[in-house]
Amino acid sequence: MEQLYGIFLYGVFLLTMGGIYAVLTLGLNIHWGFTGLFNAGVAGFFAIGAYTTAIVTSAASERHLGGFGLSPAAGMAAAMIASAIIAWGVGRICIRLRADYLAIATLGIAEIFRLVLKNEVWATNGPRGISLIPKPFEQYAEPWNHIGMLLLVIAVVAVLYVLLERARRSPWGRVMAAIRENEAAARAAGKNVERLRIEAFVLGGALMGLGGALMAHHIKFIEPNAAEPISATFLVWVMLVVGGSGNNRGAVFGAILIWTIWSAAEILIARLPPEWAVKSAYLRIFLVGLALQFILQRYPDGIFRERRFRTAPSTPNREQPP
Amino acid sequence: MKRMMIAVAAGALALNGAAASAGDINVGSAAGVTGPIAELVVDIVAARNLAASHVNEQGGLLGGDTYRLVQGDSQCDPKAAVDAGAKLVNVEQAVAVIGPNCSGATNGMAQSVTIPAGVVMLSDTATAPSISDLDDNDLVFRVAPSDAYQGRSLAEHAWAQGYRKLAVTYANDDYNSGLAGVFASAFTELGGTITGNEAHEPNKASYRAELATLAAGEAEGLALFAYFGGSGITILRNSLENALFGKFLGADGMMDTSVIEQIGADNLRGNILLSQPASDTEGASYKAFAAAFENAGAPFVAHGYDIAFLAALAIEKAGSADRSMISAALRDVANAPGTVIRPGEWAKAKEAIAAGEDINYEGASGAIEFDENGDVAGTYSLNGVGDDGTWTPIE
Repeated sequence: MEQLYGIFLYGVFLLTMGGIYAVLTLGLNIHWGFTGLFNAGVAGFFAIGAYTTAIVTSAASERHLGGFGLSPAAGMAAAMIASAIIAWGVGRICIRLRADYLAIATLGIAEIFRLVLKNEVWATNGPRGISLIPKPFEQYAEPWNHIGMLLLVIAVVAVLYVLLERARRSPWGRVMAAIRENEAAARAAGKNVERLRIEAFVLGGALMGLGGALMAHHIKFIEPNAAEPISATFLVWVMLVVGGSGNNRGAVFGAILIWTIWSAAEILIARLPPEWAVKSAYLRIFLVGLALQFILQRYPDGIFRERRFRTAPSTPNREQPP
Repeated sequence: MKRMMIAVAAGALALNGAAASAGDINVGSAAGVTGPIAELVVDIVAARNLAASHVNEQGGLLGGDTYRLVQGDSQCDPKAAVDAGAKLVNVEQAVAVIGPNCSGATNGMAQSVTIPAGVVMLSDTATAPSISDLDDNDLVFRVAPSDAYQGRSLAEHAWAQGYRKLAVTYANDDYNSGLAGVFASAFTELGGTITGNEAHEPNKASYRAELATLAAGEAEGLALFAYFGGSGITILRNSLENALFGKFLGADGMMDTSVIEQIGADNLRGNILLSQPASDTEGASYKAFAAAFENAGAPFVAHGYDIAFLAALAIEKAGSADRSMISAALRDVANAPGTVIRPGEWAKAKEAIAAGEDINYEGASGAIEFDENGDVAGTYSLNGVGDDGTWTPIE
């Protein structure tokens, strides 16, 4: 019985973390899936969101800037605003770059953010990080504290999903797809491509900031190591590509699937003989790579393919010629 | 897809059945197995496992149960540590968690997982002062002294050795930056001068530019806070090759035989002083551990052994694998007074506990007396390169 309760609690943790990654993946989907912006700097916006909420919500401490005493909800709003502003600034400078150049620029910018946060010790406590970040529902007894956090994350993901689906179907979403598919044509049709690309960049950046803020509240602690590109940029890319770029459902599903494989693989690996103890941790990375190969061989466009727009409304099930 | 999911779920359930087999008592062993300090962790994990095998060879826990350390990879990243902790506490039903490595990982895992679950966490390597601040219901312990102690101790030693002007460089990570900060302020308080204090990013191919800037201050020596593999050896080599610095001070992150192998004993003898928390290498406890473990002098290895042994003692003292009783029992078995137990003496400890005696574990890393925060005080030795080309304590 205790065993089942434990697995249930682990499931709650697993879905919470997967849900937080889903927020990041939805943000990246706006950039890459909708608009075709190759943002390789997810970790940068993640870090800005996480640090913003950490500073405005944590208790006063002589180790870092803080003591503003805002609630987590206000902290998350502040995180979204801060990362939106930064995304706007970054977008103004490098949004004209072609896909691969934008990738290099954003990768560099994310590292700059991480190193600034690491070295501005007066504000962020440098590599020692910010501790004692409040967590929503933490005053309730286990398991309700964890369940509360999970419900919050689910609610955030659900709201974002509904809004983004509407955005995708709206004229705005269709222009984004047009820019991605054929920028010259969109420009010829009189669309202000730069402005629209910046809009998408800001919106996606704000969601990544929100993801970072949720993560900071969930783990109650933030330090520069948490914004390393491997776990905060590339993992998010893997989630989006596996789930299906351009498809919001795919983004959410990919996040939860890849996080589950990543996390649960360790449970299997812990069963290996102890002589393997240290080596086996690397086996997990290998397993994730293997799963990725398998999924992408089987589903080259991601598990959920992008749903294309049709010019005229048509009844479902009859639109697809065989 | 569906079939795969079902297979995964079925596999997970089957494995969980196996994990819960009777006669095992699980303790989580979280470590940064992958990540930035992976090379230090190899020996630490081996030392923890040695403690577990000592327990199991000498009668096991309670009525003969197997003491099982379940490994989790905390990657030196708080995100990963929370994930690893959730698995250890919930899926593996760990009675207590030892580790993780790195202060940030410890901080995240403690606040988000083990404190809410009421599970004791006992770290071997977390040295950040902020861990003492946690509102932990007496559930977070550590045998690695807070950096506040080591930085001060090294500054006092440096002063006593006659240094008055020093340059400082540190690897920009949580451990080394904290140490360097305490060292610099303590050395200045004593009356010394810090001619330059610069962070460096680890794992660069060369540090000549940084060192040349620091050497311009004409310091008598370089206080170097780094891990030997990350940047320490490179900095020593660059300094000596370019005659920028000839004398070095450092902390336990540099204590490794590979430093002597790569730089050469003759180049270092008389020129380097390293402080180390395993204060009493002449003590009976350290010797007992060193006899059983090959690389006993490596950083935090003795601490790794101690936490695994202490967790077992606490379970034995509590008399059952009940999470809620571990905290009080841990204090009982670690703190004086009582029958002294040294590393490896599991059978003796088991007998003493069965006889109702109070016991006092004297660890390989020090006497281990927990204060009200669950911290230990630090005493440190200074080490240099001895005639036989190994690290040797200096009086």
